[in-house]
Amino acid sequence: MTHLESTQHLPNGVQMEAAPRETAAPARFVPGQPDMWAFVFFEALLFTSYFTVYMVCRTRSPDLFLQSQAHLDLRVGALNTIFLLASSWSVARCVQAARERSFRAARTNAFLTLFFGFAFGVSKVLEWATKIEQGLTFTTNEFFSFYYFLTAIHFLHVLIGFVVLGIAVYQISSPARRSQEIIETCATYWHTVDFLWVVIFALLYVMR
Amino acid sequence: MSSAETGALPERPSGLRLRRIVWHWRHDPKRELWIAWWTMVIFYQLFGLLFFVVTRTQPPPEPSWEPARVVQWFDENRYGLLIGFAFVFIISGMTSIMNALIAYSMRRMSVSRAFAYSYLVIYALSTLPGMLLLAITLTVGAMRPDRDPELVRWIYDFAFMTFDGTMGVFLVGSLVWMVAILLDKNRVFPKWFAYLNLCNALTEVVVAPAWIFKSGVFAWNGVITWWIDVAVFVTYTIVFITLLRRMILREDFGTGPLPELSPDQALASSGLMKAAR
Repeated sequence: MTHLESTQHLPNGVQMEAAPRETAAPARFVPGQPDMWAFVFFEALLFTSYFTVYMVCRTRSPDLFLQSQAHLDLRVGALNTIFLLASSWSVARCVQAARERSFRAARTNAFLTLFFGFAFGVSKVLEWATKIEQGLTFTTNEFFSFYYFLTAIHFLHVLIGFVVLGIAVYQISSPARRSQEIIETCATYWHTVDFLWVVIFALLYVMR
Repeated sequence: MSSAETGALPERPSGLRLRRIVWHWRHDPKRELWIAWWTMVIFYQLFGLLFFVVTRTQPPPEPSWEPARVVQWFDENRYGLLIGFAFVFIISGMTSIMNALIAYSMRRMSVSRAFAYSYLVIYALSTLPGMLLLAITLTVGAMRPDRDPELVRWIYDFAFMTFDGTMGVFLVGSLVWMVAILLDKNRVFPKWFAYLNLCNALTEVVVAPAWIFKSGVFAWNGVITWWIDVAVFVTYTIVFITLLRRMILREDFGTGPLPELSPDQALASSGLMKAAR
């Protein structure tokens, strides 16, 4: 975002400047702080290593993994995915609204993102509870070890995401703050959470 | 010490290396910081040497061994364990100097002192599960080879579970550093390092399954719980040592934003570092 874009004219004619830190910054090539994109890179590398280990183990015991995978409900996984994709959509709308200085809409979309994230969390906990009731636990076999490990470490990212979204809401809530850069940084984190889930969903639920 | 004071230093000699070292020892206002930084570098070199080569406790041996095999492992590594851990006990105090430097970085930030104090307390505690408990228990095992093999295996489990499975203190320490960096207005560290702290903290959670599994990728020597975690930790350590060096180079002993190094200053500081070596 350039300085020109960050200077907005409000309907009542009052000119609102973005935070001084942002106006002094050079033209950006990525949304939000480039530093958060470094985090995306670290996390992508880390999860790629987990996925690679999962694939190697799966290749060693294909029958066990296929039989165990049959115990997962694809519809629940798809519902999880829909919740997170919807949350990515709403957080993107939040960023867009903030760029247009429509902070009421941005706040609504941030809360909508929180709602979808919460729905994902509830559906995930219910799924775990169902699996545990069926006797399918962390130590049942290698597939379920991976299932609980990958979904739990992702769930931890979702919980951190609630804090991150809270920061976005905090920024949006007061005219004294409203740093577009921070809002976009928060959205970048949330998209990463969504992106990681899509790969986990494909590996655990879909891939045969 | 103020910037004005640092500007009134006698001229640095450009001749013999020994004379330059003496000059730095007598006049360099960053002398204590460099001592702390070099302590950190030397500590990690020794840590790697003692744990990976001398005691051969890293990578960790098999968690699934029967008592007789564990006794055999102690027998094979007896002198390595005794000599290696003797040095570990000697160098363990170096961690306090390293932690002090990291706490200093937080004191240089615009954040509350509570961050530095929390970090110091957490990392003082972390020396126990992160180093000393393993060293003490395995030394006991090596010193008492005549004990019941079941007891020896219990000691073996205790040692490696505490070392590889208890990362909560490290996790919270990383988060404290992360939050301090994110809140800091003095630009002591780049924000991406705060996110790397988060990444490191998340891998500390991953070691928890080591308490449950005796084999496979989630055991205490598993690909996920040990190898990937160590890769992240080594990267993280190299990064923070490098950034701490840069922080010392930039230090102006003021209270506001830490100045960036100009190319000339960076070059001069680099020469200063070489002279200190």
